[in-house]
Amino acid sequence: MITTLAWRPFLDPINLHDWWYLLLFPLALGISLTYRAVRQTSMDGYPRAVLSLTGQIIVGISALGVASYIVIIVLVPMLTPMPQ
Amino acid sequence: MPSSPRPALDPIAGLLAIVLPGAGHLYRGEPKRALGIAAGVLGLFFGGILIGGIDVIDSKEDRLWFAGQALVGPVAIVVDQVYQNAIKVDGQLPEPTPGETPNATRSIGKVNEIGTLYATIAGMLNLIVILDAFLPPRRLREDDRRVV
Repeated sequence: MITTLAWRPFLDPINLHDWWYLLLFPLALGISLTYRAVRQTSMDGYPRAVLSLTGQIIVGISALGVASYIVIIVLVPMLTPMPQ
Repeated sequence: MPSSPRPALDPIAGLLAIVLPGAGHLYRGEPKRALGIAAGVLGLFFGGILIGGIDVIDSKEDRLWFAGQALVGPVAIVVDQVYQNAIKVDGQLPEPTPGETPNATRSIGKVNEIGTLYATIAGMLNLIVILDAFLPPRRLREDDRRVV
């Protein structure tokens, strides 16, 4: 008999192995919340600044991912082809 | 050009920031800033544990990562002590056996790496927060910015 145990928050890892890249969004939000709280001159524009920095982090990391993909999958095999 | 006086060091705010993320800024009379800091640092720290399980906070097996995580403050020390003393058995996380539920599950792969990263980034951000609470704030006020 196969039994599956219920997920226990904070004790068991979350089952997001196939969707791990979605975890970039809360990570970027957490960094932005803290960094803008320290750097913001006035807290009036805080929510907008947090959203702006969150977007910048997500775009920046995604761009790095795309650049890495191009280098590893396209450029390196083109420059150093494997012997047939 | 008249310059505004630099505020003195604030050791009490610095100490409070070490005890709990955001407490130093709350003491300095900046409750909104304190709320943002607490939400960011504690959200990342407990978010990391939620993603990778309590296994991501381990001063024995992941000593270098824990050095960064410990910058969150006593909260990180308490979580580690709970893991070492209340969840591990003889310094090891018990392997799951049929019919017996282990106290916690060892995390592996991407979720372990990302959970560990979350908690460590929380600690490193809190170091910036502690310095900001302890040292004179370097943020330009709106008046100063117009002059510059």
